[in-house]
Amino acid sequence: MRILLVEDDPDLSRQLKLALGDAGYAVDHAADGEEAQFLGETEPYDAVVLDLGLPKVDGVSVLERWRRGNVATPVLILTARGSWNEKVAGFDAGADDYLTKPFHTEELLARLRALLRRSSGHASPTLSCGGLRLDPRAARASVNGEPLRLTSLEYRLLHYMMMHQGRVIGRTELVEHLYDQDFDRDSNTIEVFIGRLRKKLGSDRIETVRGLGYRLTPLEGETTE
Amino acid sequence: MWDLSKRSLVRRLVLLAGIWNLVVLLVAGVFLTAQFRDAAIRRFDQSLAVLTDDLYAGSTVEDGVLKAPVLTDIRATRAYSGRYWTIFDQPAGGGGLNVIERSRSLFDSDLMIPVEQSERLMSEPGRTLYFDLKGPQNRPLRAAALLARLPGYPRPVVFIAAEDRSPIDADADRFGRITTVALVILGAGLIAAVVVQVRVGLLPLFRLRREVASVRRGKAEKLEGAYPEELEPLAVELNALLSHNQEVVERQRTHVGNLAHALKTPLSVMLTEAGQQPGSLADVVARQAQTMREQVDHHLRRARAAARSQTSGERTPVEPILDELAVTLERIFQDKGVEIDWRCPEDLCFQGERQDFMELAGNVMENAGKWCKGKVRAEAVASSADKLTLTVDDDGPGLPPDRWIDALKRGQRMDEHTPGSGLGLSIVDELARAYGGSVTLGASPLGGLRVTLVLPRSEGD
Repeated sequence: MRILLVEDDPDLSRQLKLALGDAGYAVDHAADGEEAQFLGETEPYDAVVLDLGLPKVDGVSVLERWRRGNVATPVLILTARGSWNEKVAGFDAGADDYLTKPFHTEELLARLRALLRRSSGHASPTLSCGGLRLDPRAARASVNGEPLRLTSLEYRLLHYMMMHQGRVIGRTELVEHLYDQDFDRDSNTIEVFIGRLRKKLGSDRIETVRGLGYRLTPLEGETTE
Repeated sequence: MWDLSKRSLVRRLVLLAGIWNLVVLLVAGVFLTAQFRDAAIRRFDQSLAVLTDDLYAGSTVEDGVLKAPVLTDIRATRAYSGRYWTIFDQPAGGGGLNVIERSRSLFDSDLMIPVEQSERLMSEPGRTLYFDLKGPQNRPLRAAALLARLPGYPRPVVFIAAEDRSPIDADADRFGRITTVALVILGAGLIAAVVVQVRVGLLPLFRLRREVASVRRGKAEKLEGAYPEELEPLAVELNALLSHNQEVVERQRTHVGNLAHALKTPLSVMLTEAGQQPGSLADVVARQAQTMREQVDHHLRRARAAARSQTSGERTPVEPILDELAVTLERIFQDKGVEIDWRCPEDLCFQGERQDFMELAGNVMENAGKWCKGKVRAEAVASSADKLTLTVDDDGPGLPPDRWIDALKRGQRMDEHTPGSGLGLSIVDELARAYGGSVTLGASPLGGLRVTLVLPRSEGD
């Protein structure tokens, strides 16, 4: 397993290199954003530990550039800034996990192990519907290459609709696949979730069939590969 | 004397205008009445002077005896009619005046010329003098008198005509009363006009006050209204002050944040180093570093919460934040497979800063995610005109009721076995209080803990 460690503090870098090495990883180290971006784009790492406060280019920008350049390596962010605002920004940029300084080395190693385990699942076929794409293995979806940010319930609904695309699916059927049987939510649950999905996917992809339910179809002119 | 600077501006303007009106109207009233009285008396005097002149011109001397003219004025013939005349002569050797002839109207009384007036007559012969005197039945009279010499008569003769002056006094009094009433009405009208004028004129000032109040209450970020040119600079200055304050708070918060964050990397180094080299020194370092970390976190949050008390009028839509937090938290708790089911009306807005709402909701939801078995529910609703309620439920073990209060206190670590994180609810409590809101814990219908956050709501406009 090959890890890229991006950290500008020499002491912390030394310690983390040591700890990661002891845990059996091969570690490359980058001390600034430019070097990190270059290494991440050119070397096939299994995971990246990325400090956000970096000289030259900050961590979030490095991460955004990687994601734009289709570097899908799982990234664990390290940062001194632990506010939710910044956590959300980090995840928005494409982070897979987040650790706030100061942290215990064991916690970092545990998080890293989980990250590697998640990303090494077996490949399964990707579902697509026009420009809409859903990867069940990574539990990720995208529209025209832009990653979608979905909660698990939204994802589950979309997954079900993509497996049955082109067919009209009734509300009851959708609710049954969204929640456990004993779960009772208010009657407009499906409307709420369809509304949210439309906001994220674009409103034309999910069609309302009056009295029957909903249907997911590719947009006109789009072809499903 | 009142301290004018502290009195109401309206009262002050009305008072000043009122005093000025009173003075002007009073002077005008006194002046008008006096003018009227003067003019009436002058006219009166002229008619008396005509009578004196007639007496003088018509008197004849025959054989050393003075004869009064026959006058056509009927009023001088009726007893006590109010119009009188008398001709005196001055005996040789001075002393009192002798009555030679008198009008019949005088009946059995005489016109008594006051001493100082007779002296004036002596010193100014040939000139008609006017004065007041008391007549028959004690009536006030106005008199015209002339001292002259007649050819063939040895002694100076005084011709005097008098008339009851009470009609002109009554006229003048009536004029005075009418004038007073008119001026009082005018004054009242002026004061009313001033009150209206001041009220209307100061309306922009009242509007400014309302706008400033709504900025303070966080309903608006700055003054928006258009103001007259006298107030416009004040509004501009106020806005500049507001944004300056905002900047200062922002800068302060950034400084505190920078300091706190700058300490975190060295703390990480110390913690890691201590972890890698077991021993008693390492234990102390680890313990102290942990304390420092908690202190840094605590004060960082305090600084944030304190900055919040001077809240700006920011409106933060709740729905997108819950969405982002749900997505992020599910990612964070991916291994556990946490499912966050959230509900929120699209138009619900928090009255305050975005990052604060994120901190509040994020910590509560993270706490739920940490303790749940797999399900977290979050629901935000508008609970009253100016409050919103965020309820977060989980299906974890929950807390016994006797711990519900403690769990919100600072430094309470409910999860000693999960390294590096407390309930995070003390922060939420502090921040919520800074916003005038509250946090309460309770039992969730899902089986775990229910955290209820009540926060200020911004009404949509």
